Formats: sequence, C-alpha cells, structure tokens
Amino acid sequence: MRAALLAEWLKLRSVTSTWRAMGAAALMAVLGVVWTIYVSGLADERGTLQAAAPEQGFLPLLQMSLTVLGVLAITSEYATGMIRASLTVVPRRGTLLLAKAVVVGLATLTAGHVILLVTYSASRLIADNHRLGFNETSLTDDVPMLLAAGISVTALALVGLGLGVATRSTAGAITSVVALLFILPGVVGYLPAPWNTRAASLLLPNLVPQLVGDRLSSRLGDGLLPPWAALLALLAYPATALGAGFILLKRRDV
Amino acid sequence: MIELQHLTKRYDDTLAVDDLSFNVEPGHVTGFLGPNGAGKSTTLRLILGLDAPTSGQALINGRRYASLSKPMFEVGALLDAGAVHGGRSAYNHLLCLATTNGIGATRVADVLEQVGLRDVARKRVAGFSLGMKQRLGIAAALLGDPGVLLFDEPVNGLDPDGVRWIRDLMRSLAAEGRTVLLSSHLMSEMALTAERIVVLGRGRLVAHSTVAELTARYPSLEDAYMALTASSVQFGAAR
Repeated sequence: MRAALLAEWLKLRSVTSTWRAMGAAALMAVLGVVWTIYVSGLADERGTLQAAAPEQGFLPLLQMSLTVLGVLAITSEYATGMIRASLTVVPRRGTLLLAKAVVVGLATLTAGHVILLVTYSASRLIADNHRLGFNETSLTDDVPMLLAAGISVTALALVGLGLGVATRSTAGAITSVVALLFILPGVVGYLPAPWNTRAASLLLPNLVPQLVGDRLSSRLGDGLLPPWAALLALLAYPATALGAGFILLKRRDV
Repeated sequence: MIELQHLTKRYDDTLAVDDLSFNVEPGHVTGFLGPNGAGKSTTLRLILGLDAPTSGQALINGRRYASLSKPMFEVGALLDAGAVHGGRSAYNHLLCLATTNGIGATRVADVLEQVGLRDVARKRVAGFSLGMKQRLGIAAALLGDPGVLLFDEPVNGLDPDGVRWIRDLMRSLAAEGRTVLLSSHLMSEMALTAERIVVLGRGRLVAHSTVAELTARYPSLEDAYMALTASSVQFGAAR
C-alpha cells in the first residue's frame, strides 16, 4: 500500500494538469484581493456595508478547480490507456483506487485549506479598518467556516474521483459534478415550500453553512440538518461516489 | 511459463477467445500470430487479469496474475506503446510504474539506458515517435527483470536498427531462460526471431508448432500462416 501511495503521489505531481488546477484554485486568493480592494473603495464613499466574504463568495472556484484535479487523477488514465499499465503493475484494484483517494484527499485538503487561509488573511489585511461586514468577526469565530469550506473541497474532489472511475470519462465526471454543485441547487429552489428548503438541505453546497449553523440563504432560510448530520451528509457524498466507482472498477474489464 | 486452460472470453454474442489451451514454455521466443480480430490482444489482457475470462483460466508460473503482489518481478508486458500519459517525461512514467513495486530510480535509469532512451529521459512522452514509445514500453516491461515477458506488436514503428535490436533482445531474453510471448504481423521478422509459433483464428487455436516444422511443410512461414488462417480471416480485402 505504501508503494502504491508513493506512486500515486508521483503520478499526481508529474503532470502539468495538476499544477494548472492548483493555479486555477489559487486564483481565488487573487479574486479575493481584488474584491476586497473594490468593496473597501465603496466603503470609503458610503461608510459601512455588508459585503460577501471572499472565502465564501469564491468558494465554488476552489471547489471546481480541485474537483477537476480529482477527476483527472483517474480519467487521464482512461483517456490515455495508462490505466492498463497501472492495473498491470497493481492488480488489486481496490489498492489502486484507495491509493488515489488518499493522495487526492490529502493534496486537496492541504491545498484547499492553504488557499482558503491565504484568501481569508489577505482580504482581512487589505480591508484594514474598513467596515465591510465580513471582516467584523474574529478569526476564532471564522475558523469553523474555513474548516467546513476546506472539507467540502476535498469531499467534492473525491466525488470527482469516484465519478471519474464510474464514468471513465473526463467530460462525464465533470458534468456530473457541475450538476451537483450548480444545477441541482437551482432546480431545487423552484420546488414549492417547504420542499425547497428540505431538498436544498441535503445538497452538497448547502452542507457547508449547515455545518457551522448558518442559514442556507435569505430565501431558503435555515437548513434542516444539525452540524453533525451535515458533516455525515458531506462525507456520504464521496463515500457513495467512491463506493460506486470501486464496485464498477472491480467488476468491469479494463 | 504461461498456461492457458480452456480460456474463453465472450463479449455479448461474439466469442473473442474460444476454449484456448496451450502452454508457453521458457527458454525460447514464442510467436503469437493470427489475423486482425483473432483474439491475440484479448488473450494477453486475460493473462494479465485486465479482462475476466468467461470460463477457463490463465496461469503464470502456476498462479493467477491477480494473486501476484509484486507482479513486475514475475511478468513484464507491453500491450500498447501509445497508452502513456503524454505529459509525463519518460523517466517519470517509468518511475511511476516502478514505485508501485518498490523498484528504485537506479533501475529506471538502467532500463532507459538499455533501450536507448537515456538522452530523452527527461523529455515529455507526447513528443515521442511510435518507435520511441515502443522502446519506452519495452523498458517498462523490463523494470522488474521478470521471467515472463509479453509483447504485443513491439516492432511496429521501429526503424531497421530498432527492428534488429528487438530481435536480438527477444532472443537474448529467451536464451537467459525467460518465457517470451511475442505477437507480430511481420512474418519474415517472426521467422528470424521465434522458435515456436502459436496461431489463433477466430479465437481458436489453429496451430501450435515450431518454426522449423512449419517451414519444412510450407515454402516459408508466411505461406504457412496464409494456409493455416485462410478460413479464419474476418477482415480481408477483396481480391
């Protein structure tokens, strides 16, 4: 298992797509800086305002970029045919998938939290004494939110990996994650109340606020899940995707 | 030693491999011949555990491939030279494979030297010609210094120098007591490289013989092949 982990770590490091995905994810910090400068300028004119926190507003960029990393960790092997070589040198398919999941998990957990923390700190430094709403709470109050956002990034990257194994297609897996992250929440919003809030409570992007006891949105109000249930639901997504991927990988011819 | 016992693979309504039983012995190069679609590549995938047989089994040194914990030390395989991530360097590609079986960077450098890719080791594989990719695939197969080697059409795309190099490599690997199974469509090349021949047609074993026997009965190995597979060519041009 150790050898498989080392090999997967080398695989991830040795392709440029990994670093491009990381670069796209790091754009979050740049956008956060630009956003903070912009709203600080507005605050100079108006005094105080309630601006969205950049680590929340730009979270989908971070989630999507690192999900692409998770997807490509497996679908690049299917696209090139490298998967045959990989399964020839590691015939135990569960070992290969587990090694990939651990490496993608640790890489995205680290990168996600670093980028979130940099975005958070840079925006607070730039905001300085401006009253922007988002910078009026202390770091200790915001840590749970940052952790929840970071966990959601890794959960999505692993959902991407699992869907990549299941679909064996980069486009298929990324489309599925886009549906999960952006399309389903929109569709669910049109359900009649209270079903819109009930269904929305279970959707992946809405688990992050529920994890720290925030409301889903001004329109949907509070979610149904207490923090512990939201965490379980957040872990259930990657577990389901990886489980489905594992069963298919185990059964199918390569 | 590779043993195939009633190996059968069915895809929906087609039998790709049909009750195939033969052994590939160590000590000489065994040529693996057959028309397009005869089931050669499927057979190789079944041996390597990539595809699951519908019935029967393939054993390597008496064991199923999937049960090998460090397979690179027992079996080396080149299935498709193009099946490489083009963004990786030759060195990193081999190191990724080697690491899974605990093989170190020194051995990677050695095989790169052996196949003549030392000078392009740090170049991205995407820029490689087919012949260079074949050399890379052979390097991968040799990493664990295995006793059983499978090569699916390794000669394609190689220059004359490379063709001769492969011929000598295959023969020397076999002379060291290894089991070498080599598929190719180049009959003249096969006549120079292999000692034994296995011929498939429509998934079935058509012939298992020595090159000497075949060339004694027919004018050449090519004539022997044409006669043996005459009834099992599925994708032949009109003539």
